[in-house]
Amino acid sequence: MSADTTRTGADAPVGPADAAGRDVPADRDVPADRDVPAGRDVPAGRDVPVAPADPAEARGVRWAWVGLGALLLLALAALTRYLEQQVPALAEGTALEDVAKAVEYPVYAILLGLLGNAVVTLLGWRDRLAAAFRTEFLIKTGLVLLGASINLAVIGSAAGPAIAQAILLISGVFLFTWWLAGRFGLEDKLRALLASAVSICGVSAAIAAAGAVRARREQLAYTASLVILFALPSIFLLPWLADVLGLSNEVAGAWIGGNIDTTAAVTAAGALAGEEALQIASIVKVTQNALMGIVAVALTAYFTLRVERRPGAARPGVGELWRRFPKFVLGFVAASVIATWYLDTAGADGKATIAIVNDLRVWFLILAFVSIGLEVRVASLREAGWRPIAVFASATVFNLLLALALATLLFRNVTA
Amino acid sequence: MSTEEQSPPTAAASRFAFNEDWAATLLGLLLLGLVLVGAIPAGLVP
Repeated sequence: MSADTTRTGADAPVGPADAAGRDVPADRDVPADRDVPAGRDVPAGRDVPVAPADPAEARGVRWAWVGLGALLLLALAALTRYLEQQVPALAEGTALEDVAKAVEYPVYAILLGLLGNAVVTLLGWRDRLAAAFRTEFLIKTGLVLLGASINLAVIGSAAGPAIAQAILLISGVFLFTWWLAGRFGLEDKLRALLASAVSICGVSAAIAAAGAVRARREQLAYTASLVILFALPSIFLLPWLADVLGLSNEVAGAWIGGNIDTTAAVTAAGALAGEEALQIASIVKVTQNALMGIVAVALTAYFTLRVERRPGAARPGVGELWRRFPKFVLGFVAASVIATWYLDTAGADGKATIAIVNDLRVWFLILAFVSIGLEVRVASLREAGWRPIAVFASATVFNLLLALALATLLFRNVTA
Repeated sequence: MSTEEQSPPTAAASRFAFNEDWAATLLGLLLLGLVLVGAIPAGLVP
């Protein structure tokens, strides 16, 4: 590889503000022409690749790293699948038999992702490989495939409560987080990112909100890191708590879908809680995703007309709503319509065919969960300080309680 | 030095994210279609 490296200065002159609104070294941020994907910051003192002078060579080097990242992702996913299928058989008859049966693929995938993350970080490769870790794309493809396992009637019966829960939860949690972040003195753009991430759908919402309020890249990277940091324990904690609280599968699914921020983690927790809980959790989360466009447009209008007061700025219209609508929601519903029709016409044989779709879905979810583990960034969290973490933690607890109340109220009569 | 000079704001809309949305939708539906017409048999998915 001919990529040289340069060092971003940690003890450089003081710039205006970091992700948390505190002063930071002036040259720590990523310059506009630096080839770093949006949402991935470069911590102080970290070696970063500089593109070779020849653009074609630079492209070749970049694609080689992306290919290597994709291979790593696939290898860890294949290992996850192997462990998921073989460990219970290998542990049969031993003292670990029950544990081996209880550990499902999200656990292996996330742990292997974290392990891979530690290794590539030690090797100094992670920033170069990161472009291959497309968690959002993988989870959305997995969700479209998940739509094929959900009967249209289930979507029909859960849609009303899901929309009601999403509107109440997004409004309540967004306003609480916005208010609390203001009390902690955080900058308005970071307030918008944190509030959107906690209340709607984690990383996707943070990306949409960052575009709406024109937040800085490190603020987006920082918010995305917080989302993943809080989502990881929730994946295991919520299914366990749902069991302890004796929630029905439907209420547990609605709680998981309404509370965990990022869609990938919702799916992981839902998978641990059971197939029915997974179906309801995904419907609830997809509904929240669908409302993301409305919040993004409202934020655009608020920041353009009230916060930044850009002269002559136009109010965003209906076209903007469609542009920001997460299109995979359409794929999720379309897959359910197609599969429901197929099962009605193909009869008993149809179930075996849909089982193949379910296996493909599991592969995409495994890839997404491995990718989550590979993407965790502790460095950007350390740099931002304690205040945004305190806001995010408080908002998560508020979300947890409000989502539990709403799920219990709205989903008690829903059957998956 | 202004904040804008320190670090560029993210694009007003992340086109890549939304293209990724369409890509996920199309790939998911394509795979579903291939399974339903029998182009992806059970033995092909480990």
